[in-house]
Amino acid sequence: MNKLLLSVLLSLSVSGSVMAGDLIKMKGKTEGRVNHEFIYQDGCQTCHQGSGKKNTTDAACVECHGDINSIPVDESKLAIPEAHPHKSLHYNQGASCLACHAEHEKKAPVCTECHRTWFEEM
Amino acid sequence: MQGRRNFLKLSAGAAVGSLAATLPGTVQAKTCNEINWDENADVIVIGSGFAGLSAAVNAKRQGLGSVLVLEKMQVIGGNSAINGGWLAIPKNPIQLAQGVNDDSPEELVKDQIISGRGMQNEPALRQIAERSLDAYDLCIDTGVKFRKGFNIQVGGHNKARAIRTQHGTGGDITTKLYETGVKEGVDHRLQHYVEDFIMDGQKIVGVKVRKNYRFPDLTTGSSIFIKANKAVILANGGFARNMALREAVDPSLDPTLDCTNALGATGEVTLTAMAYGALPVHMNLIQTGHWGSPDEGGFGWSNALLSIGWHQGVAISVLNGKRFMDERADRKTCSEAIMKNRNPDGSPAYPVVFFNYNNYAKDDRVVRALRDEMAWKVDSLDEIAAKFDIPAAELKRSITEYNKHVKDRKDPLFNRKMDTAEELTGPFVVSRIWPKVHYCMGGLKTDLGARVIDARSMAPIKNLYAIGEATGGIHGEARLSSTSCLECLVMGIVVSETIKADAQGAA
Repeated sequence: MNKLLLSVLLSLSVSGSVMAGDLIKMKGKTEGRVNHEFIYQDGCQTCHQGSGKKNTTDAACVECHGDINSIPVDESKLAIPEAHPHKSLHYNQGASCLACHAEHEKKAPVCTECHRTWFEEM
Repeated sequence: MQGRRNFLKLSAGAAVGSLAATLPGTVQAKTCNEINWDENADVIVIGSGFAGLSAAVNAKRQGLGSVLVLEKMQVIGGNSAINGGWLAIPKNPIQLAQGVNDDSPEELVKDQIISGRGMQNEPALRQIAERSLDAYDLCIDTGVKFRKGFNIQVGGHNKARAIRTQHGTGGDITTKLYETGVKEGVDHRLQHYVEDFIMDGQKIVGVKVRKNYRFPDLTTGSSIFIKANKAVILANGGFARNMALREAVDPSLDPTLDCTNALGATGEVTLTAMAYGALPVHMNLIQTGHWGSPDEGGFGWSNALLSIGWHQGVAISVLNGKRFMDERADRKTCSEAIMKNRNPDGSPAYPVVFFNYNNYAKDDRVVRALRDEMAWKVDSLDEIAAKFDIPAAELKRSITEYNKHVKDRKDPLFNRKMDTAEELTGPFVVSRIWPKVHYCMGGLKTDLGARVIDARSMAPIKNLYAIGEATGGIHGEARLSSTSCLECLVMGIVVSETIKADAQGAA
């Protein structure tokens, strides 16, 4: 799965204006992240175990992306070095992916509840 | 997992009628019902702040068996994870190295009695103070780092006894307790919302939980039943974010008042316990800080920034450009004065506080406030007037007058002590202020062993325990800073000992 992810990312990087993570129309009214387009071809069950109506869990993210410790963050873009979202001083490994990331809509990361200027909606 | 079946008399229903109407799938009143348990644990902890995580690690270490922590949010740590990381420990090693040798647990209790104004639970405070070194040891043992050589005297304490975590956040403690718990076999679950208790008469036997819950939508996730073999520990924190409950117990708390707490501090588990007979005490005692800013979330930088502003600066009403209070008065006095600043429609007219920039340009309290845009560097009074829509002539007149008072070291307007005041010349650091709700002194009544007390029998509800901000009556009228973290950590230890003793007594 990781290899697949890499090839998807590579093909994206040469295809131009759409950035990985951008929201695009996927199926009907459902939006999704452009880098996840290939997942939608298999239906909803890759992320929603059992039914599209059931909430997904971190397991769906971790399967391809690895856990929070293994996912790099561009540290040059941080407001301050301590504002590293994958090494949070408040939560560290005790944060769900879903606290900051959403697939079908934009979401403000949990950090913005207090640190309003540090992070953008994603 | 297929749990084993139990035949139980359920006492849910009538008492929680109104709650049942709002919660999806609440257990309905039936004389008999078979619970098909999906899971079981020896000890279930509800909430993952200082109290819950301390209880979980200590329950494990006491050999109580399997320990399951249920957190409804998508992060571990509750409000503790975003708190300021202050911890009062009499006789801590840093204090002793500073040569402060005359502190003791009893000295701390003395301060808390004054602050509690007769409403405090003295034996509970004494138990906590006497075990504060156990809390310190728990931190050190789990890898928590404190600031080297840092131990200071904070508000209401008669000794320098407050130490602070390395990064100035309680997250330094919750992350370590969590990671220690994981290593030692504690099972932590995020997005598990406790929607009901399962009672067998006057004994709790399990909880109904909404798994995969997404705060705050109660229709998300699906219900499961988890059996608690030995204990359910309520460590669900305060309710300062529950606007309806806040208003019900203290109508003087204006809905315009924001809150320093994490969003999950809504207290529904406390209400569920009450519905099953738990006695609530002091629910209307809710602590407010006058040092909040509307331009940041949570506790924020404002309190620290205003430690300059109240002394070296001035607070001005945007409505008329005038001072309106003794900036150095206590919380309650200042809160009331600030909240009088209202637009004609009743909305807050946030007052501004400002002081000279140049003397504090490199002060961390200023640097981070400007960086995060909760305060602004403004060059002149005219620019302040324009930026915050203050009558300019009035503002200039007020500052001219104020500067004369600074020179005279006398404040005829509000009788402020002027020994630390500075003449205001600009450029200025300006921020806006509005009080924030901070802490609930009230909650569930417990005995010294953390057993939850039933209001009808005044005896403990079997197997039900509560610790931390979810409990009430410990601090009385006002909690002193740096004592909540202490209480939570200590009571996590105490409750594990109680459960061990109760389990042995029951066997």
